[in-house]
Amino acid sequence: MARLLEKKVSRRHFMGLSSCALATIAIGSQVKVLKALAKDGRIDAPTGLGSKDVYSSCGMCVNKCGFIARVKDGVIQKLDPNPEFFIRSRAMLCARGNAGVKVVYDPDRLKYPLVRVEGSKRGEGKFRRATWEEALDLVAKNMNEIKDKYSRASVMFASTEGTFSEHFFTQLAECYGSPNTLRHPTLCLSSNIQGFGATFGTNPTPDVLNADFIIMSGANRSEALMTPDSIDLLRGDGGKRKLIYLDPRFTKTSAKADEWYPIKPGTDMAFILAMIHVIVTENLQDQAFIDEFTVGFEQLVPHVAPYTPEWAATECEIPAADIRRIAKEFAAAAPRAVYYQGRRSSFMANDTQMRRAMAILNAIVGNWDTKGGLIPNANIELTKHDYLAPWYDEDIPGRLDEGSVTYLSEKDGAWPAFRDRALAADPYPIKGMMVYKQNPLASVPNRAKTLKLMEQMDFICTIDITMSDTAWYSDVVLPEATYLERQDPLEALGGIVPVVAFRQPCIPPMFESKESLWIIQEIAKRLSEEIAAEFDFTMEEHLHHQVKHNPQILEDLRTKGIYYESTEPNYGRTRGTALKTKSGKIEIFSQKYADNGLDPLPVYTRPTAVPSNRYRLLVGRHAYFTHGTTANNPYLHDIMPENTLWLNPVEAQKLGLKNGQMVKVRSAVGEEKLKLEVTQKIRPDSVYMAHGFGVLSKAQTNIYGKGGSDAALIEEKYCPISGNVAMHETFVEILPA
Amino acid sequence: MSNKRYAMVLDTRKCIDCKACTVACKAENHVPLGRENYRNWVMEEALRGRYPNLGQEFTPGQCMHCANTPCKRVCPTKATGVNADGIVTVENKKCIGCKYCMTACPYNARYYNEEIGAVDKCTFCEHRILTGREPACVETCPTRVRVFGDLNDPNSEVSLLLAKHPHRVMKPEMGTKPYLFYLI
Ligand code: SF4
Ligand code: SF4
Ligand code: SF4
Repeated sequence: MARLLEKKVSRRHFMGLSSCALATIAIGSQVKVLKALAKDGRIDAPTGLGSKDVYSSCGMCVNKCGFIARVKDGVIQKLDPNPEFFIRSRAMLCARGNAGVKVVYDPDRLKYPLVRVEGSKRGEGKFRRATWEEALDLVAKNMNEIKDKYSRASVMFASTEGTFSEHFFTQLAECYGSPNTLRHPTLCLSSNIQGFGATFGTNPTPDVLNADFIIMSGANRSEALMTPDSIDLLRGDGGKRKLIYLDPRFTKTSAKADEWYPIKPGTDMAFILAMIHVIVTENLQDQAFIDEFTVGFEQLVPHVAPYTPEWAATECEIPAADIRRIAKEFAAAAPRAVYYQGRRSSFMANDTQMRRAMAILNAIVGNWDTKGGLIPNANIELTKHDYLAPWYDEDIPGRLDEGSVTYLSEKDGAWPAFRDRALAADPYPIKGMMVYKQNPLASVPNRAKTLKLMEQMDFICTIDITMSDTAWYSDVVLPEATYLERQDPLEALGGIVPVVAFRQPCIPPMFESKESLWIIQEIAKRLSEEIAAEFDFTMEEHLHHQVKHNPQILEDLRTKGIYYESTEPNYGRTRGTALKTKSGKIEIFSQKYADNGLDPLPVYTRPTAVPSNRYRLLVGRHAYFTHGTTANNPYLHDIMPENTLWLNPVEAQKLGLKNGQMVKVRSAVGEEKLKLEVTQKIRPDSVYMAHGFGVLSKAQTNIYGKGGSDAALIEEKYCPISGNVAMHETFVEILPA
Repeated sequence: MSNKRYAMVLDTRKCIDCKACTVACKAENHVPLGRENYRNWVMEEALRGRYPNLGQEFTPGQCMHCANTPCKRVCPTKATGVNADGIVTVENKKCIGCKYCMTACPYNARYYNEEIGAVDKCTFCEHRILTGREPACVETCPTRVRVFGDLNDPNSEVSLLLAKHPHRVMKPEMGTKPYLFYLI
């Protein structure tokens, strides 16, 4: 860490002035667009002449990297990485972060409130421009009608992480009186939170920078970028670091790994259990650590007895000798070793138990709360924003998806389980859909079902910055100011070294877009006086409230774009304290699970075999897009204009299919057409497509009609413990198009 | 003040093909949209081996700021030049768009910019260097593949890297004497 910090400083000051002449600077195309728009009277001419630098945080993905916006004459010229954000983002911006400038000046962005034309069908895309007044009135009127006709629980609220303003939206749900909020975790990492939480009482962060030995199951860090992990994986201690990477695909992480194993999908748990087997039979565990900090090791030993490397080899198709060797190397490198849990843990329906196995493996060699191991997140406290949801005398039922999975998060819900019950109106109907920046049509498996869900709604409203598929199927679309135009509250980003980030506007909101707080306040006002009273504050007041205990935080954010208390990790904070588990210790054996009728130790279940003439569909991310939200960005579109279906050459030959030809991909729930990419980079029994294409919204003009949608193909199986979707349990047929 | 000899040293072993450099360059230098318009790029080299024994490299490239410039030699209007710090330049106003330089460049580093009506290419972000900032691609690169600096200064990071590590240049047989160095 210290070494890297020194580098940062020397990088910033390394250059003196040059003797060369100033190059001609090309006229910015942005300026051209703006001038043209101003001429038409569509926007005001850029104001605030002169140059300024604005410190803020990226909104293109979950990482929230710090940047400095270079603003000239009221136009954002460029987003540069903020060197002060080194602790978190290692002072970089990725392709998406750099493309952020186009979010503001994208002709496809949402500009005005839109109302679906009376008499038109949802999805036809017939919208008319409305005033804010009319659009907001319509939202409140419909929300009130639904509560009168059904109940307050009959309006669902879907929102997503990363906006910094999401809690205003969930507050609106609570104040309105609906228990039905649906956040992103069950489409992403809830099995990780569950599996690691059941073991350690928390989902820790791997200390990638200081680990000497890292094993990853499909956490494709060179493409699915997470800061600082993706960077530290390459920038850390160079030669000393060993990366073992298991993935059915040859990804860019495979290209950087010391060893890559094309593991049979869904068998990672066999690999992990066999590693545990080797460690305990060869007595390589950290017994002192186990004795002091864990419970249930004695049950683990007999439990893993049948899970030999030879057995695992037949399951996961990794040679037994390699499993044995890797287990020994891992134990030898511990505690500066991690079996890295990754973020999106929506592989298979047994995902929670698979993550439990990872957690247990880390625990028995002592990779916990020590340099180079798994570190419980540290956090910087902000003053909480308290509110009192109004009391309603009427009967409001509980969550629709109550009891659908063992551990349901009250705030997050369980998407596919919720959708099934909503479709059956079981036990009550869902008739209204309020959406804040989530895009369930692209993100929830089995798109046809989500469309059905939307069909049965009396009313759908989407707040977003772009015409997502979900917005396209809405009745009212409200344009939020983009992350470059709005003030967002402070957000504490927990981690090994915690920081606080926020956003401040680089330019005023363009067109008629508005900050989300304003939008929510205006809806609240129209719903009732009681609800409005809970939103009776300005953003400025809210910011000051958050830092009531320490105004320096806000001061630093405004001038440096980041607040932190230390640049160094504080290892060992949990030593000698009780963990947030029942026993207060690391639970290798989970009594809690046993009490709930779940396997208290992870039991391997073999994944369903791929039927003949079918392939297992794999999905994944890459470094150019974030989920379904950025593929239409003009800069990013230049890099990757469509997605393809990867197929191994041996199979392509069998099917008589050629590289580059169009193919039909058919699953039990949908069919999509896209280009075939014949490549060695994938196992013969699987096919892969990137997420983010095959959109329904014609307003995404760059990508409409290009590539295929994974959400249209994936079946909605899910983990019964956490509710997390299982994205790799779908089999498809490939046919020439 | 003495002149510089600007150069870039790249450690491609750390390159993850994230294309942050490509987008940063486009945004910084207002390179027009379009897949054919770019000042820098990252090549996905051909896959080595057969499944399951595979390997792949990613190689960033851009104008090599050659000491022996084939592009300058063919330019009929002297629009292409080399400045005192070794940066190969194009003067927009003098460029008549004949594209001879585009053909002459062995690295395919030049493109025709419709918006400015001239051939365009990497300038080492000269306008940023002037204000003490690093080139956009260097500053943004997550894994710090790229290091930029002055080879006339023996203590610069580029000089030290080249002194310490074996390195190569692209297409040395062309005799262009490039100033982009790739560590081996
Ligand atoms: S990783 Fe990229 S998109 Fe995500 S916050 Fe950082 S710069 Fe933005
Ligand atoms: S930014 Fe760096 S790591 Fe990313 S593609 Fe460019 S050179 Fe490679
Ligand atoms: S130095 Fe500047 S102009 Fe050259 S490739 Fe990098 S960003 Fe582009």
